[in-house]
Amino acid sequence: MNRWQQAALPLGLLCLAPLALGNDYVLHMLCLWALYSLLALSLNIVVGFLGELTFGHAAFFGVGAYTSALLVMQAGWPLWLAPLAGAVLAGALGWVIGHVSLRIIGPQFAILTLGFGAITLTITNYWVDVTRGPMGLSQIPAFAVPALGWDFSRAAHMYPLALLLLGLVLYGCHALQHSRSGRAFVALRENPALAASIGIDVFRTKLLGFVAATALAGFSGALYAHYLRVITPELMSLSYMSAMLIMVVIGGKGSLIGPVLGALLYTFMLEALRSTGSWRMVVFAALLIACVVFLPGGLVSLWRRRPAQGKP
Amino acid sequence: MLFLQQLINGLANGMGYVLIAVGLTLVFGVLRIVNFAHGEFYMLGAYATYYAMSLLGLGYIPALLCATLLMAVLGVLANRFFFAPLQKEHEFTILLSSLGLALLLAHAAEAVFGADPKYLDTPFSDATFEWGDITVTQQRLLVIGVAVCLIVLVYAFIRFTRMGQMMQATAQHPEGAALTGIDTRFVHSYTFALACALAALSGALVGPTTMLFPTVGDWAVLKGFIVVVMGGLGSISGALLGGLILGVAEALGGSYISMGFKDAIGYAIIIAVLLWRPHGLFQPGAQR
Repeated sequence: MNRWQQAALPLGLLCLAPLALGNDYVLHMLCLWALYSLLALSLNIVVGFLGELTFGHAAFFGVGAYTSALLVMQAGWPLWLAPLAGAVLAGALGWVIGHVSLRIIGPQFAILTLGFGAITLTITNYWVDVTRGPMGLSQIPAFAVPALGWDFSRAAHMYPLALLLLGLVLYGCHALQHSRSGRAFVALRENPALAASIGIDVFRTKLLGFVAATALAGFSGALYAHYLRVITPELMSLSYMSAMLIMVVIGGKGSLIGPVLGALLYTFMLEALRSTGSWRMVVFAALLIACVVFLPGGLVSLWRRRPAQGKP
Repeated sequence: MLFLQQLINGLANGMGYVLIAVGLTLVFGVLRIVNFAHGEFYMLGAYATYYAMSLLGLGYIPALLCATLLMAVLGVLANRFFFAPLQKEHEFTILLSSLGLALLLAHAAEAVFGADPKYLDTPFSDATFEWGDITVTQQRLLVIGVAVCLIVLVYAFIRFTRMGQMMQATAQHPEGAALTGIDTRFVHSYTFALACALAALSGALVGPTTMLFPTVGDWAVLKGFIVVVMGGLGSISGALLGGLILGVAEALGGSYISMGFKDAIGYAIIIAVLLWRPHGLFQPGAQR
């Protein structure tokens, strides 16, 4: 990981380079990449670190987005506070749902989270008085600092902010991975019984990871809402859920760079293949299967293999 | 009268869910795979019936049989290429692979068949059967009748035939079954063929009661999951009861509470079931 720490500053500067181009379209794609990376990193905590497959993660993304947007639009909350409230509410919901569902193991956990996700989507769709139902919310206020002329609904202004947040979250995930809790995650992913025998509280550790992941998903949802300024219940649907899983699995679950790489691939390939219509999702599905069957560590595992092979 | 009418509708829908769930539960019971792509075989079965009728000009029943046979073959291929290579892997990996297959089939279907809704018109869909104030379309009666026959047949097949007993042995202990000379890979292929044929048949039968979209597979597999979890993964009689309960609960909930939240009822049921009886409503507690 030391190599990455050394590379962090040059890589960060490299990511800022597209700003010089001033191409709004490319910058918009990069903003989406950074936001999707946050989301993929949050899913990675559950799928990669804890080793549980959840199908309800999109719901927390949506809850964060709706909470923040509604607090600003209906309750007049300040813009800097509302995304944090979105994260807190998503995390609280994650605590409740995690509390009941993390006791269930195996494929039933995946089905249970699928159920919770679907119920959240149904409520958002039919609670028309508050969420405006399938119409979604539009004209969501964007972050802005008028005194300095910053308007974060513009890609050129949002991108550095999103990149900064991505850097902070990457650092946070790195710290989590190497903390006592992070090592406990890996221990119970590999062997829950053995982890319990050395004094790890399996349920509480899983719950901690789940709440962290859902709060982060809610936060990235809030950022997404204030950047794109339009949200619909579609955010909570299975298509977003599959997109997230594709990013994490193709990039490489359980690593830090993997989800970021997966989000990059997803965002740009989706644009490159736009003209092919429905076939583009066929391509992604095929990539997902190919990764599951032939490359379980995702794209980042290609990288790691090389030095290992070089040594005698 | 409204109550009776809704009860009948619920039972008809429920039998449709049972048909979907039986294949899902078979695959789980024998191979320990939660097959996310099961709904796509339902969708493909319905589309295959539609195209066999409109392009080849076949009648409804021959088209249905062709679709069923085609999906059985496709099921064997799916098992061969997507599930058999992962047999020794963690269930998580297999679940992801089946999700990939589901996405692949659903989006390929959208690309090939188009996203616009199709209507599968059968000789039974407009004809009704009236009994007092209660009206049921003949298509729904057909669903109920065929489902009852099929469940009896599948149950008898697993219970009494040699192949069925081989499936039971493989379900109980794969290595032990292999040691007694059972070709477990053949049993796996056979189970997949049977499950996908059942999915296709349910698509061809239930499909005409609603509009046909390429995304209908999601709907089918979610209903299947609810039923299978309710009845206990791997149990056929559980799937029967679970399907009927879900169908009736949705119909009554939809008419007495709110149409919009109809789909949420099923999820509320599985959440309650998984927390209260994780192995299914009708299973003894500790059994796995």
